[in-house]
Amino acid sequence: MAAVQTREKRILWLISIPMALLALSAVYPVFFAVNAALKTRKGYVLDRFGLTTDPTFANFAQAWNQSRLSEYFTNSVIVTVGAVLVLLVVASMAGFALAILRFRGRKAIFITILVSLMIPVQVVLVPFYRTMIGLNLIDSRPGLIIAYTAFFLPFSVYLMTAFYARLPRELFEAAQIDGASLLKVWWHIMLPMGKPALVTLGILNTLYCWNDVLISLLVLQDQRTLMVGIAALRGEYTTNVPLLAAGICLAAAPIVILYVIFQRQIVNGIAVGAVKG
Amino acid sequence: MTEILTATDTKRRKAAAAAHADPGSRSVERFAYLFVLPALALVVVFRIVPLIWGFGYSFTDYDGMSAPRFVGFDNYIGIASDPVFLDSLVNMLILLATLPIWIGLPLVLAILIHQGVPGGKLYRAVYFFPAVLSSVIVGAIFNVLLRYDGSFNMFLKALGFSAVDWLGNSSTALFSLIAVQLWSTFGMSLLIFLAGLSTVPSDMLEAAKLDGAKLTQTWWYIVIPSIRPIIEFAAVVTTIGMLTAMFGLIYVLTAGGPGTSTILPEFLIWLEQGRMNRPGYASAISMVLFLMMGGLAAIQIRIMSRNASI
Repeated sequence: MAAVQTREKRILWLISIPMALLALSAVYPVFFAVNAALKTRKGYVLDRFGLTTDPTFANFAQAWNQSRLSEYFTNSVIVTVGAVLVLLVVASMAGFALAILRFRGRKAIFITILVSLMIPVQVVLVPFYRTMIGLNLIDSRPGLIIAYTAFFLPFSVYLMTAFYARLPRELFEAAQIDGASLLKVWWHIMLPMGKPALVTLGILNTLYCWNDVLISLLVLQDQRTLMVGIAALRGEYTTNVPLLAAGICLAAAPIVILYVIFQRQIVNGIAVGAVKG
Repeated sequence: MTEILTATDTKRRKAAAAAHADPGSRSVERFAYLFVLPALALVVVFRIVPLIWGFGYSFTDYDGMSAPRFVGFDNYIGIASDPVFLDSLVNMLILLATLPIWIGLPLVLAILIHQGVPGGKLYRAVYFFPAVLSSVIVGAIFNVLLRYDGSFNMFLKALGFSAVDWLGNSSTALFSLIAVQLWSTFGMSLLIFLAGLSTVPSDMLEAAKLDGAKLTQTWWYIVIPSIRPIIEFAAVVTTIGMLTAMFGLIYVLTAGGPGTSTILPEFLIWLEQGRMNRPGYASAISMVLFLMMGGLAAIQIRIMSRNASI
């Protein structure tokens, strides 16, 4: 028995070697980008892969100023923060109504929202674009906020509904007995109680909005979000890799920081979304 | 005193219960509709109505400027004989054929981590890390790494292989695109599988071990069957992702090229609507893509509505 166990342990140790190599491959591209961003253009051409010996921050300054990344960065922050706030409020409202209140057509509305989850932006690209033009929402940051809300909302409503449905009903009933209005119940009970789900959704939606390129390409034309800006930078600076790498680092930094801080919530959020219940 | 309190309390409790439990309660209904209205309006205006509208467009010669004219099935006949569209379908089939790797790789890794490979927790975090990076960032970095003089070829040469122009060669570009997308998303499936594995009762595994089952036997006869629903769910979600989540990477990594070698239907819709200015034609491709998703979507909706159990 003991022999079997040690043998098994040894196998697991052996397996750990390719797994470690795979882990290295997962971080190498980012290491490469940071390393390249710290090199001068000449330094990069002379030695593409070696560790930078004389780190320079000039690329970051140049990408930030000359390539208008600061402007795109601001656009991305405004649109992401705006969309995430709207998403959380709207999803919590709908989740409260769908999970707790009894009204006709409740199930049909829930199914409608779920079905819309299965309509990706590519499938409705043309009419969606026409709708945005018709509502005068093209090339405006509020327009992009609304577009993000529309496309990332169904999953949020689904998760909030599932979350609220699992809360003990007594909580809600007790508040009702104390004479609180439904609006107050939502604000003072459902929102605070839903905090774990809202945090998860907030982070996931931040990732989606910050990282999006397709919806942003469609809605914003004169202005740009950071990801569209980086995509354009890639086209313009195919030979100036350090400058491109600096832009990449600037665009990825907020998300990497978010991941380091909220790793557990992100990981749990994905798991809950998949195998809840 | 207490009696009175209880009496009024029960009364209030009943009244309150009636206020929200009774479907006939007008004020609750009105409030509920008001609260679902923003969500419902957004998905109806920006997704459901556009879907119907797009269906209509697909039967017109709409060019984005002049008024659409009904042309029957012309667009559908057109795409059926359009070599670019057919290429995109072939590319999609090749992509779909790699599904076993997309499920198998994270599944094996998840089981290993679950069974206590040294450093498992760290691996979980690191494997998932690329999934938080945007496709633009992943694409821009790999564009440099996969060049003829890039890191990847340098690594291959060190191992004694010859260099390949991974993105510039039409026979390797699709393969490279698929590999990069797999690299950046397998951590997601891994998390899903780990969540599923945590629900497998450990005494079942212990019992199998006591009965002398080998590691691989335990996997095949106990672990995998007990998380089968989750494997199926992951397969559905991954397939949907293959049909609709590759745009960003294609846009930055290969732009569909060389030639048509990395064009997928979702990218072709974008090309036709924008650069080609053929929204009517693009709508027909959209409808084909939607049909392909239909069955998958139905499965996913069933799983999700069962999970939410409202």
